[in-house]
Amino acid sequence: MSSAKVAKPGKPGGENLVFQRGGFTVRKFWCAFFVFWPIVAIIYSLISSLVPSLGWWFPGPSVTELGQRIDNLFYLILYIVTAVFIGTQIAMGYVLWRASHSKDERAWFSHGSHSLEVIWSVVPSVILLFLALYQMDVWALFRVQAYFPKEARDAPIAEVTARQFEWRIRYPAPGKKLQLKPQPDDLYDVNDLHAPINRAVMIQLRSEDVQHSFFLPHLRVKQDAIPGQIIPIWFKAEKQGIFELTCAELCGWGHYKMRAQLTAEREVEFEAYLKKLQADQNYDGHATPSAVAKKDE
Amino acid sequence: MSVRVWQLLVVVLAGAVAGCAEDASKMRFAQNAVLAKPVHRKAQAVVEKELEKHFGTPLDSVAWLKLPVNYGKAEGKVKSVDGRSVIVDFNAETSDLEGLNSPELSRAGLLFTSGANQGESFLLASYDPSEKSFETLLPLKTAPAEGDQFVVAGQNLRHGRKLYARHCQHCHGINGDGDGTTAKYLNPRPRDYRLGIFKFTSTNKDTKASRDDLKRIISHGIPGTYMPSFVPMLKDNELAVIVEYIRWLAMRGELEVQLLKDLKNDYAADRARKEAKESKASTSEIENQIAKQLEEYVANPTEGLAAFIETVTGDMVSAWEGAETADTVIMPPVPRVPDTTASRERGKALFVKTDGGKCINCHGPTGRGNGFQTEDFQKNDAAGGFYEKRGLHDAWDQPIKPRDLTRGIYRGGRRPIDIYRRISQGIKGTPMPPVAATVKPEEIWDLVNYVLSVPFESASPKAAKAHSVAGQPSEHGNAN
Ligand SMILES: [Cu+2]
Repeated sequence: MSSAKVAKPGKPGGENLVFQRGGFTVRKFWCAFFVFWPIVAIIYSLISSLVPSLGWWFPGPSVTELGQRIDNLFYLILYIVTAVFIGTQIAMGYVLWRASHSKDERAWFSHGSHSLEVIWSVVPSVILLFLALYQMDVWALFRVQAYFPKEARDAPIAEVTARQFEWRIRYPAPGKKLQLKPQPDDLYDVNDLHAPINRAVMIQLRSEDVQHSFFLPHLRVKQDAIPGQIIPIWFKAEKQGIFELTCAELCGWGHYKMRAQLTAEREVEFEAYLKKLQADQNYDGHATPSAVAKKDE
Repeated sequence: MSVRVWQLLVVVLAGAVAGCAEDASKMRFAQNAVLAKPVHRKAQAVVEKELEKHFGTPLDSVAWLKLPVNYGKAEGKVKSVDGRSVIVDFNAETSDLEGLNSPELSRAGLLFTSGANQGESFLLASYDPSEKSFETLLPLKTAPAEGDQFVVAGQNLRHGRKLYARHCQHCHGINGDGDGTTAKYLNPRPRDYRLGIFKFTSTNKDTKASRDDLKRIISHGIPGTYMPSFVPMLKDNELAVIVEYIRWLAMRGELEVQLLKDLKNDYAADRARKEAKESKASTSEIENQIAKQLEEYVANPTEGLAAFIETVTGDMVSAWEGAETADTVIMPPVPRVPDTTASRERGKALFVKTDGGKCINCHGPTGRGNGFQTEDFQKNDAAGGFYEKRGLHDAWDQPIKPRDLTRGIYRGGRRPIDIYRRISQGIKGTPMPPVAATVKPEEIWDLVNYVLSVPFESASPKAAKAHSVAGQPSEHGNAN
């Protein structure tokens, strides 16, 4: 404020003229406008994180440990950009507020300032470099097969084939390993992927036609399915339940139809499920009816 | 953007949306010669009028009680009245409460069967399952009293129509003719229900598909075609009402086809032109004659249109009802013959035999679907003469290929019982014949064992082992 008083009157013309257009009311409006949003953001974040029952905050915690780590990365980035957002908005608000009080004060023309350019190049680079290094182990665990848990890598539990517009699932027979090519005793299901909980499991993802994306939002798993490729995905569900499995890549007019489910269940239930599938698949009209009651309605 | 630009954009978008949808308020009628030769336009008008009378339009459908369709019906009585909303109690034994607990109930018909409103029917505007209260579209003339009995009907058909419109119509068409907006991009074509034939059933060769068969197809999909599985997206009660709607559309289509077939003999599209050529009468005289004949036919109570519809629907009703009886379901009389090498060999011997089931004629010596019949000209039984194109055709006159059995894709299901039913009873609407009359059940099982082994015939166990996926190196790092 004090500097505004000592400032010399601006020369007519030149770049200062730009700042002198518009009345003080307009300048105050823009000042209020840019300060308003960080305040709203802060209030909203505080309410939604302190009162989770409102359901304004992000969806609940992941049901996998890896998902939790992915969430942590997400929150870290969110905190950084929130701080940057609030800081820049407040700085902008301050500048506008000062300008709205004095007709005479001239802006400091910073173009070409070497030290400023160094600062705003180096600070974001350091932050980005930090993020790049910090997330490496999570990325490797999530995407690079060599870093998958060994138990998952050794025995994929199923092959999931996306096609317009459904998920076809192939399991190996109980006690056998999944083979690249279909086997006579393989078990088939559609749109209902079963997996045991508390065990790292791997599935092989394929596509029969176009690009799809295998998305388990509750497990923070998302992977494109690409025709001609077999892409391994692993996860370790830590909670029993039925979770949504959707297609996250617009794959055609029936894209919305690709809504399937993941049934995460205890190991014994998973084994029982495979047994039931096997009994159903061998049904010849004479098997025990209880084993096939559900499928042969 | 200025208001004008927005308006323009809205108009363009609305036009684009309207341009790619069909008119949902009208049923389509058969206009082409695929199912029946074109009939005279006046005869066509008669058919359309009859169909509209018995089936209505999609938005104002008619529950023709003669047909074995579960239109949905719930009985109850009034508990109290609160302004315009009527609080009710449904009878516990009423079966279709599931359908009632859905917003789709709206606009189902309500009929009072006792009290001051007895005999009056209303459309429902809304139903609130938690309050068990409904409001009628138009206000009730007299407020119902406690204990007044009523029936709500038709909710299954309405619910089914909404779901059908959302999930099925773009392929199967508004009237189930398999000619929806996306159908032309599909091969094989979506099923045209109008013949009343569905291919993959558990019932015997002379019987329609059962409700369970249709439900199974909707929930499992058909691998090798564009029919996907709709479970778990659709719940059990939703599948049930879609099945009812599809059966209803199939019956509508059957009646349409039968009427057209009946009328085409006397009222062919080119009759006036032909007769004018042959006789001295002018075209308009013949046109008048046609109109008069048609009028007589429609009016004749004993030998006319009404009697014909009576017969056709009578047959249709018993055929659809028959599919729901347990004795039409094919259950193999003997359990599956153990799947041994010897059984497969026996099956293969039967498969290639030219005087037995004749599998080889279409499916080829190794099951690749390349038998000599696929290269031959085939008789067209419906139209007479031969098809123009070589190869097999189905009841819908579409070219059809015998299944390539080496691919391991089984459209009607891969369970032994599915394959048994296909071989034993054939596939309805296709050249795949039933063999039950000539081949013994044990031999059919041998055939099943052979067919199921065809995809693995060449792969030795050693080669299969080398293909383990588990150790496959990853070359994928695709993120999304
Ligand atoms: Cu998709």
